[in-house]
Amino acid sequence: MLTKRLVLAAACILTTFAALPAAQAADPTYTVGAGGTYRPFEFETPQKELVGFDIDVIKAVGKAGGFNVKLVSTPWEGIFATLDQGDRDIIISGITITDKRREMVDFSAPYFPADQVIITAPGAKVAGLADLKKLQVGVVNSSTGDIAVSEELGRASTSIRRFDNTPLMLEELYRGGVDAAVGDVGVIKFYIKSHPEKPFKLVYDNKFKRQYFGIAVKKGNKVALDKINTGLKKIVADGTYAKIYKQWFDADVPTLPQQ
Amino acid sequence: MGGFQWNIISEYMPLFVEGTLMTLKCTVICVIAGTLLGLVLGVGRLAEARHGFYKYFLRYAVQYPVRFYVSFFRGTPLFVQILLIHFALMPMLINPSGGLIISGDFAREIRSQYGAFMSAVLAISLNAGAYVSEIFRAGIQSIDRGQAEAARSLGMTYMQTLRKVVLPQAFRRMLPPLGNNAIAIVKDSSLASAIGLAELAYAARTVSGAYARYWEPYLMISLIYWAITLVLSAFVQHLETRYGKGDRRQ
Repeated sequence: MLTKRLVLAAACILTTFAALPAAQAADPTYTVGAGGTYRPFEFETPQKELVGFDIDVIKAVGKAGGFNVKLVSTPWEGIFATLDQGDRDIIISGITITDKRREMVDFSAPYFPADQVIITAPGAKVAGLADLKKLQVGVVNSSTGDIAVSEELGRASTSIRRFDNTPLMLEELYRGGVDAAVGDVGVIKFYIKSHPEKPFKLVYDNKFKRQYFGIAVKKGNKVALDKINTGLKKIVADGTYAKIYKQWFDADVPTLPQQ
Repeated sequence: MGGFQWNIISEYMPLFVEGTLMTLKCTVICVIAGTLLGLVLGVGRLAEARHGFYKYFLRYAVQYPVRFYVSFFRGTPLFVQILLIHFALMPMLINPSGGLIISGDFAREIRSQYGAFMSAVLAISLNAGAYVSEIFRAGIQSIDRGQAEAARSLGMTYMQTLRKVVLPQAFRRMLPPLGNNAIAIVKDSSLASAIGLAELAYAARTVSGAYARYWEPYLMISLIYWAITLVLSAFVQHLETRYGKGDRRQ
């Protein structure tokens, strides 16, 4: 009787010792940075909790790819530097994959198609990107819209007015401080939906290249990147991605390119 | 890190040049407007009469509002004041759809051309006025009461006493803190980058945003700010020696 108990106890202790380090090695915890002012991709609840499409995606990716997610609200300004400094392991913040950014960080496979759109007052005579040349154009600092407008108006043009976030930029447009603005269609549409009192006109232009959002890690961090890509593939395949997408956007679930 | 990349700076040179000009323009206007406002407020803060109607008028219609004003602008962050003025007060006054002062297409035109500039200058000037008024108050109070009494007994009016006897003496003592205030304005103008005013800090924000590099742009504008404040303090020193002469025995 006593020996039986002893054996059982020993077995218990042994298994816990054996299981603990193994479990830790299998599921690392990554610190994930995301900006807090990019509705509906990431924003903060009154309880300071980060929520949004990106947040749901990275949580699902973590679960499927085998890592724990520790979310930290990180302002967009300087967000890339947090990877190099080791403050964050992963950033997901509606980041469009561009060649220039590829030089600084490594990107996961695309997880969201990002289209740019021009927003103006209802009466403005703007038919496309070319018409912005003589206007004051609002963009979010170093966003994809900023890059597109910079190409059109010149990188150092003072007609480009850069703001910290989309709501600030759209407020300035609404107040007549800028003549037009350029931003991500998903964010803009969500803003218009939640502010029906502000009349805006959306202008699409084929000159905006179709681009995609990616999840970024520090250059050379292959371990994290592989886990992210594995997780992403899994949630797309098993329908979790589609479920999250439908929860945040009205439109049909897009097919993502594999790369 | 890859060393100090000069090409980043040179690529964005027009932005840095325009940013410097904008910072200078902002500083000059705000220093002048802030000093004038501060003079009016400082005198208003001290306005008092011994008896009769003016005693109560000066106390409740001049002194108390000025105290309230100074307390508000010194008691809230300038950054908040800039946002408050740009996104709340100015849209109320100048708005294409029913602004109190200007409305219609002209308002749109003004806002898009000068909106951020006007808001920044207004906010910084109002803020500086509050601080400068305290400098004036301290300066005026530091002049011996006998000076004013002597002037009044010579038959000078209140304004004459202030203009010809008290203020010239007080001004000498106020120069160092006024210089300090001007230097603070140079640096405070950087807060206007939040409303999209293309000044120096805005240029650095743009560059760091585009390249995710922080040494080059922020070191660059630090040097420019430093140069501006050095020139400014040299100018104040020059004024001090010039207006301080009367105090020195030759």
